[in-house]
Amino acid sequence: MDVLFPRTLEELQKLRTETPGDLIMAGGTDLLVKIRKTGQKPTVIFCIERIAELQRLDVLDDEIVIGAAVTLQQLLECDTIKTELTALFEALSVLASPPVRHSATLVGNVCTASSAGDTLPPLYVFAAEVEIANTSGRRRQSIAEFITGPGKTTLQPDEIVTAVRVPRPVDGTHSVYYKVGKRKAMAIAVASMAARFELGEAGAIKNIKMAWGSVGPTVVRAIDVEAYLAGRSLSIDCLREAGRLASAAVCPIDDVRASADYRRQVTGNLLLRLARDKRD
Amino acid sequence: MTLNFILNGKNLSVETSPDRRVVDLLREDMGLSGTKECCGSGECGACTILVDGESRLSCLMLAAQLEGRTLLTIEGLASNGELHVVQQAFVEHGAVQCGFCTPGMVLATLDLLRRIPEPTREEVRRELSGNLCRCTGYQKIVDAVMAAARTLHGGMS
Amino acid sequence: MLGNKNMQNHEVREIGVIAPRIDALTKVTGAENFAADLYPEGFLWVGVKRSDFPHANILAIDGLAASKLTGVTAVLTHRDIKGSNRLGIFEKDQPILADKTVRHYGDAVALVVAESKAALTEALAAIRVEYEPLPPVFDPEAALETGAPILHPTRPAGNVLIKSEIVCGNGAANLEKCAFQATVKIRTGWQEHAFLETQTGVAWMEEDETLSMTVSTQTPFRDRLELAEALGISPAKIHVVAPCLGGGFGGKDGVTVQGFLALAAMHSGGRPVKIYYSREESILAGTKRHPLRAEYTVGCDQDGVLQTLSCRLLFDTGAYASLGSEVFALAMEHAGGPYRIPNVSILGSAVYTNNPVSSAFRGFGVPQAAAAMEQVIDELAKAGGFDPLELRRKNAVRRGDTSPTGVLLTQTTGILECLDQLERHPLWRQRTKWGESAPAFKRRGVGIATIYHSVGFGPAIADYANAKLEILTDGKFRVYAGVSDMGQGNASTYAQIAGHILCQPHEIMDLVLPDTARTLPSASSSASRTTFTYGNAMIGAAELLRDRIRARAALMISFQLLHSVPIEEIALLPGVARHLPSGRSVPLSLVATMMDTSERTATHSYTCPVNNQPIASGENLRMHGFPHRVVTYGAQLVTVEVDTLTGETAVCDMLNCVDAGRVLNPQAYEQQVQGGAAQGLGYALFEEFAVADGRILTGDFSTYILPTALDVPDMVTEPVTPDEKDGPFGMKGVGEIGIDGVFPAIANAIAVATGVRITAETMSAEKVLAALRQTGQEGRP
Repeated sequence: MDVLFPRTLEELQKLRTETPGDLIMAGGTDLLVKIRKTGQKPTVIFCIERIAELQRLDVLDDEIVIGAAVTLQQLLECDTIKTELTALFEALSVLASPPVRHSATLVGNVCTASSAGDTLPPLYVFAAEVEIANTSGRRRQSIAEFITGPGKTTLQPDEIVTAVRVPRPVDGTHSVYYKVGKRKAMAIAVASMAARFELGEAGAIKNIKMAWGSVGPTVVRAIDVEAYLAGRSLSIDCLREAGRLASAAVCPIDDVRASADYRRQVTGNLLLRLARDKRD
Repeated sequence: MTLNFILNGKNLSVETSPDRRVVDLLREDMGLSGTKECCGSGECGACTILVDGESRLSCLMLAAQLEGRTLLTIEGLASNGELHVVQQAFVEHGAVQCGFCTPGMVLATLDLLRRIPEPTREEVRRELSGNLCRCTGYQKIVDAVMAAARTLHGGMS
Repeated sequence: MLGNKNMQNHEVREIGVIAPRIDALTKVTGAENFAADLYPEGFLWVGVKRSDFPHANILAIDGLAASKLTGVTAVLTHRDIKGSNRLGIFEKDQPILADKTVRHYGDAVALVVAESKAALTEALAAIRVEYEPLPPVFDPEAALETGAPILHPTRPAGNVLIKSEIVCGNGAANLEKCAFQATVKIRTGWQEHAFLETQTGVAWMEEDETLSMTVSTQTPFRDRLELAEALGISPAKIHVVAPCLGGGFGGKDGVTVQGFLALAAMHSGGRPVKIYYSREESILAGTKRHPLRAEYTVGCDQDGVLQTLSCRLLFDTGAYASLGSEVFALAMEHAGGPYRIPNVSILGSAVYTNNPVSSAFRGFGVPQAAAAMEQVIDELAKAGGFDPLELRRKNAVRRGDTSPTGVLLTQTTGILECLDQLERHPLWRQRTKWGESAPAFKRRGVGIATIYHSVGFGPAIADYANAKLEILTDGKFRVYAGVSDMGQGNASTYAQIAGHILCQPHEIMDLVLPDTARTLPSASSSASRTTFTYGNAMIGAAELLRDRIRARAALMISFQLLHSVPIEEIALLPGVARHLPSGRSVPLSLVATMMDTSERTATHSYTCPVNNQPIASGENLRMHGFPHRVVTYGAQLVTVEVDTLTGETAVCDMLNCVDAGRVLNPQAYEQQVQGGAAQGLGYALFEEFAVADGRILTGDFSTYILPTALDVPDMVTEPVTPDEKDGPFGMKGVGEIGIDGVFPAIANAIAVATGVRITAETMSAEKVLAALRQTGQEGRP
């Protein structure tokens, strides 16, 4: 297969209209594994690692813009992400392994759209948007609407995700990412949970958003869990009840890594980690 | 296609197909079999090399991506007949048994020590978590890395 | 050759001190060539077409279309095999290429030889095989039922590969009279070797029609014999070289790819051929650890003195015999643990199924047997209110005792010291405090296990080695290692032994790895015997060579001094022979040039003594290795922390108190114990090998989970070192004891932490969470 390195987005789009049957590669850590597994090689791969516009990592006043070619390692070295998007930082720290993080990208993780993707639950709770370029121009879409099913997105054949934009949370926002895998590194999540929230007076939960991974065809949100926790505290009793609601909200499957029952059980239990990690 | 890159300090111009995996280019075309393949899917780290100073998995890299880059493989680490501090530490501390994970482990260690010059044992384990070893149980590898860190940080080499 | 300046002051590293391995230098620079690293000029790739069914008759194999594709040199089937086309050690029941029947998904049906990997893939896909599916059997108990599909119809015993019964004392008759009793029913699963270097090699035909191959193998000499019969060629016409293996652990004990290499080389138009399994193919085609189903009942008197053991063991040996009978025999021999148990009834069998083939894997049946015995002992301790360590200590064997399987223990027996050492350790003494200081949402426990593991091949198969040692004309020494080094460092230890006896630095010795044309037959790299047997042989060769050198030097110095110099006055020192009374030295290089070629090489053959005692029962196990003579012992401890929210279990500490006799090289000793223990940890907690209807579901490293550096803790290893007179410098062999007790130690620790014993295979987080749920601890802070 041919491997081309367009230098600009325009060049990429022009090449794509000329060559059908292409694939886009950023870090290649999902794509090349998939090609090996299926044995199906595309005619041409467009590697975006040299497109300057896609390398941007910008901390703006109200949002952080992560270009499609930005690696996970670059994000781990960004202080703002560590302090303000802590759940995302924690997810990046446990995604795959160090050498993989040196070439894998956030946008790649989003476009692979596996419900086990570690970056996804945090991006959901931070209400991230994907920015897409096509032949007509640009469009944006919330990540929850962009990912439609396991491995499925709304991306059209002439489109490419150029960036993920994450609104910067207000001061005082806490966020966490919990991952359950079959070992402590290089593990596909068996169940995962991201949460962001603020704590008001007397530890009352405000503006809580939660998302679970690996327990449904896509990342699962549960409005009733958020509604239940609003105004309550991070006490074990509250979290246990919230956990019951969460377990009921997810629809996991059995696979070689774990059973649906286990995933359902862990979904609820993970909320109790918030009690363990209680912040004041 | 012709690729121009720096390998172990030498400027190279190599003719190859763009989709050739870097691990195959190194092992089969260039006679550099120090870089190992053991899973082909990014799950073991045996194929680790340094690209522009950063550890990368050569089984998940295509030759075309090498253009303009600087590569270091295990063969390029020792210089003038002298082992690198990390290599010396691996030998002294019994971190080498069958040796198949060793090249990848050594290069991953270089990357780790560049970013964390004085790691704790836990940090060493975390940073080497992408490199599997089936023989050692990792303990002597961690011993070796900690010793290498002390030597490097002490300014001796 | 590379070296650091500070390594140029090479010192003599005596037996007993840390000696860095010779091979470490080449491995750390990437210069060591494994079989995987060979790409001979003009080579062709070899690939294997495997079965589409777990059990089927082959009606037709059509390779015609495939053979006509561009880049394809040959498509080969069983019709191209002239010999018996049967591989195996005792039972030769496995074809190189299937002829009438396929018995598991990994069965090889055809071979392709091609110019490129792409041509190989295309050709393999183009081979058409017509099958008549047969009913398969996947459950070993179902395989024993009347009417079960029979895998090897020519065998009289149906699907039973081997069965045996060991009865001592009154057998199980007095079980009910025991004051306390406990029963455990457990299953253990398959385990994948997962050596980093997969099965691989290269081969070519020499001009004189010798078949030459370099292959990652634990058995270069035996491979020749196995291949010769299968292929119908003379073993003298087969040349096998075994470089350093990138791991073996038993999975390369015997023919793996050698048959394919041989066939391909004979049909490659004179070109060299190479085969290199992908990880997926390695998991599909390679052998595994035997799964075990066992039921154990043990009883003791009021004081905790063991009285009776009654147990049944059922092993799933998969589609072919391989080393199944040998694994079975070793498990049976060790089934009762290192204890005094006067009344014993052990019933066991190994059966064929259409599952992957099970064979040798470090521990060789003992980890499975210990998984059962060490758990039932803990249950007995609970039933009788005994401390689990005191119960073990009270019943541990001493030298001169008879093991539960009737084996008289004539050699060193250090289990009591191991237990004493463990008992003194803070990890044991503070186990209650550890348990009580679990953080929120965690539970903690400490578990122990005592194990023993016999060394060598037993009474019927000669455990021999032939050492060969040479002094070169430049005064350097060359060691001809006869036993494959798969990472244990045995080759380097052979040099260390030679260096100790010759008083020379071993690091500058030249090491020739096993090569049927240059080194001497020395049996397999297995059974914890690789240093034991060859080491004994090397002592003989080194002493012989030492005295020849001394004698020659004495003669040379006699001419200088003009009087006769007796050999006793000559000492060898690094690089020289010195006459002590006069102080005169002769460089070894000079002495060597004054020796005839025939004098400069010394060889010595050593065969291990065997256990000659008659065994009352289990007689059919004799030819498969029962009983042994030299035994290693161990007591292992783990501390675990279990997450009540997810069931995830972390092993926080490990303690290995090991009796493997004297320590020749503390670093190599620890390497073996730590490495074995890590594999045991993987076996217990992570390496869940899933098979459904004969099909492997965990077929790559994303689904077969090996522990990473974050999953294995730092360990403490404390050797107990009795002087074993049978062994070189008092050692026994430490290759396997480290893995044997980890599974039950972890199971026992989890039982303490959760209150529930998990008895089904890998103790995954899911199973641990279910256990916590059972005792109402799930989700509890």
